[in-house]
Amino acid sequence: MSYLLTSALLFALGVYGVLTRRTAILVFLSIELMLNAANLSLVGFARAYGLDGQVAALMVIAVAAAEVAVGLGLIVAIFRHRESTAVDDLSELRG
Amino acid sequence: MALLGTILLPLLGFALLGLFGKRMREPLPGVLASGLVLASFLLGAGLLLSGGARFQAEWLPGIPFSLLLDNLSGFMLLIVTGVGFLIHVYAIGYMGGDPGYSRFFAYFNLFIAMMLTLVLADSYPVMFIGWEGVGLASFLLIGFWYKNPQYADSARKAFIVNRIGDLGFMLGMAILWALYGTLSISELKEAMEGPLKNPDLLALAGLLLFLGAVGKSAQIPLMVWLPDAMAGPTPVSALIHAATMVTAGVYLIARSSFLYSVLPDVSYAIAVVGLLTAAYGALSAFGQTDIKKIVAYSTISQLGYMFLAAGVGAYWVALFHVFTHAFFKALLFLASGSVIHALGGEQDVRKMGGLWKHLPQTRWHALIGALALGGLPLLSGFWSKDAILAATLTYPFGGVGFYVGALLVAVLTAMYAMRWFVLVFLGEERGHHHPHEAPPVMLWPNHLLALGSVLAGYLALPHPLPNVLEPFLKPALAEVEAHHLSLGAEWGLIALSAAVALLGLWAGFVFFQRKVFPAWYLAFEAASREAFYVDRAYNALIVNPLKALAEALFYGDRGLLSGYFGLGGAARSLGQGLARLQTGYLRVYALLFVLGALLLLGVMRW
Amino acid sequence: MSLLEGLALFLLLLSGVLVVTLRNAIHAALALILNFLVLAGVYVALDARFLGFIQVIVYAGAIVVLFLFVIMLLFAAQGEIGFDPLVRSRPLAALLALGVAGILAAGLWGLDLAFTQDLKGGLPQALGPLLYGDWLFVLLAVGFLLMAATVVAVALVEPGKASRAKEAEKREEVAR
Repeated sequence: MSYLLTSALLFALGVYGVLTRRTAILVFLSIELMLNAANLSLVGFARAYGLDGQVAALMVIAVAAAEVAVGLGLIVAIFRHRESTAVDDLSELRG
Repeated sequence: MALLGTILLPLLGFALLGLFGKRMREPLPGVLASGLVLASFLLGAGLLLSGGARFQAEWLPGIPFSLLLDNLSGFMLLIVTGVGFLIHVYAIGYMGGDPGYSRFFAYFNLFIAMMLTLVLADSYPVMFIGWEGVGLASFLLIGFWYKNPQYADSARKAFIVNRIGDLGFMLGMAILWALYGTLSISELKEAMEGPLKNPDLLALAGLLLFLGAVGKSAQIPLMVWLPDAMAGPTPVSALIHAATMVTAGVYLIARSSFLYSVLPDVSYAIAVVGLLTAAYGALSAFGQTDIKKIVAYSTISQLGYMFLAAGVGAYWVALFHVFTHAFFKALLFLASGSVIHALGGEQDVRKMGGLWKHLPQTRWHALIGALALGGLPLLSGFWSKDAILAATLTYPFGGVGFYVGALLVAVLTAMYAMRWFVLVFLGEERGHHHPHEAPPVMLWPNHLLALGSVLAGYLALPHPLPNVLEPFLKPALAEVEAHHLSLGAEWGLIALSAAVALLGLWAGFVFFQRKVFPAWYLAFEAASREAFYVDRAYNALIVNPLKALAEALFYGDRGLLSGYFGLGGAARSLGQGLARLQTGYLRVYALLFVLGALLLLGVMRW
Repeated sequence: MSLLEGLALFLLLLSGVLVVTLRNAIHAALALILNFLVLAGVYVALDARFLGFIQVIVYAGAIVVLFLFVIMLLFAAQGEIGFDPLVRSRPLAALLALGVAGILAAGLWGLDLAFTQDLKGGLPQALGPLLYGDWLFVLLAVGFLLMAATVVAVALVEPGKASRAKEAEKREEVAR
């Protein structure tokens, strides 16, 4: 149970990181934190509901790996043309 | 089918002149128009002599388009096309040189076509088509010189005031439809032969139809449009506002005689309105300074006489007066037109006078017209007016009061008729003109009309002299019981009217040749000139309040619209406010995203 | 809660805080590695041994290494650079984060869970039948996804202009 609460807190920390960080890579890092918090929650519930939770956590890890690959590739591609990795520079979608 | 031809011929004229008139040189449009009217006259006469005709065609569900040529409608057809033809010919000369020459004749022909539709109609909706059509033609012709805003206003006034009457007509029709399920006059006539279905509702229908007549025939209280209608060219005044359109109301009552003969109270009301209108018109004619307006008020007065006759139940007498009035009134108008033409456009009688020497033929036209109007014994006006006077005593809805009132108005009529003649033709020359007589094309119709003014009365002479008109029209009208006066009484009354007429004519002749008038007369004249302030009263009580209401609604509507624009503006500023959220910064979007997700989850949780 | 449990949870939270606050990107990545390793231990303690191992191998060993690799590539070691146009949004971010925590905790509030499932230690022998049984479709789909990700990653970072410039340089050298 305490694990579940911890996972909630970790998730909240991840949210704070996403909203606060100004470099794309550090935002990504925070996203990874969030994913792991979710995984912890899944494993925690698996103890109450069965192995499906663990299998799901496994799938999440695999998907996270794929996501990181693609995401970092995107970051590299974008920031190759610009010199900085600042997230605030990507402000062209103004209203 | 041939019956439809009488209407189609002038309608064809309207179409041809409307489409190609601009390319025709004068006087072709006038000749064409007159020719078509003459053709209609001959066709109608021929059909009438061969015993009448009918026409029926499928139209609206339950309401066929039916025309009927019987003695009554045939009589009116002959008046309309006959006098109409003479006035068309006159107009060929009078309208010469006007840039709208062909347009004039197109409208004139349209009017004839519509008037014939009205007259020949065998069902109320068809009559209503004609009714509205003549109203339209009247509007177009009154405002013929539309560039003058006053004339355009007069045209609009005529149309709007008429509309009030038309509403009555429509409501009356609705009630008849609701009660009897048919609007065909022949069928209604049969349906009303038995005991009445709903006397009160029928009385209302009768009153409403009469309201239509009041509008069209310029009776009190809707008479205000007729003097202003003098803005139109003189032939228009002669044809529409003297001889034919304004008598449509009388014709309506006569055609609906089967209805009115069983509604004593409504008929009584009609007679009262007629008498009051006759008095009003006569009194107002004394103060007018426009040569045509004198004749216009005279028309209002004479129409009052016709309604008086129709009201007391003497429908054929009313139509007799329509007949004689068509002649002498058209003659008076056309003579006025000749005078105006002679003086180069002058219409103010205060600037006329002494024209007797200068206009050798028009002077006789005018004199005959004025004497016929005044009721000089042996002229047409005398016989028909006397018939009305006698009818007020013999017909069921009449009474002595009507007789006395009508007699007094007859005196006034004679006096103002003489005023008209004296001011224009006698006395010193007050204007600075070089008058020239009218051309033959304008004189010949007047000759014929003058002849008619003298002879027309002989169609229906009092007992025991021959009376051709009454038996001619009787089959088409309702049966009304009239008790007969003894021979002595009848001729005694005739002698009385003759004396009264002569007295009035002589008095007018003498009085209006004076240089100075007594103070009481001048005060009366001033009030009469303003037609006793009726227009001002209407303006204050009805027109201006309605105008204010209309303006208020207009501004309210505009405010509503700008309120809607305001709504648009409000939406825009809201949008602009919201757009400020779109900063373009990723992190701001992320913040909003999380905020939104929180809100959603929160709502779902609770 | 036993001592080890408490220590583990404390380390998790500490490293989490470090990840989101350290300015230097490499330090943050290292904090993340610490987080993952502790997490792996927690998994083992929760009867998910296979998952714990996978966590170390894949997550800490591949993903974070990839992160470090990219950080090095882009010289993005310094975290917060230049001027922050949204500095006033930090309290709001903190508030929102607290809100998220609150919502999730509230979701856990009244749950009466019995952690009594027999997970057989979370070993491959236990997970296998599930993976190749009920979750077969998902397994294959994830595999496909990984292949697609590989292709995309390569396509995204394809040299493009740089290679054309290189070829032009080579031709010039040969011409000389």
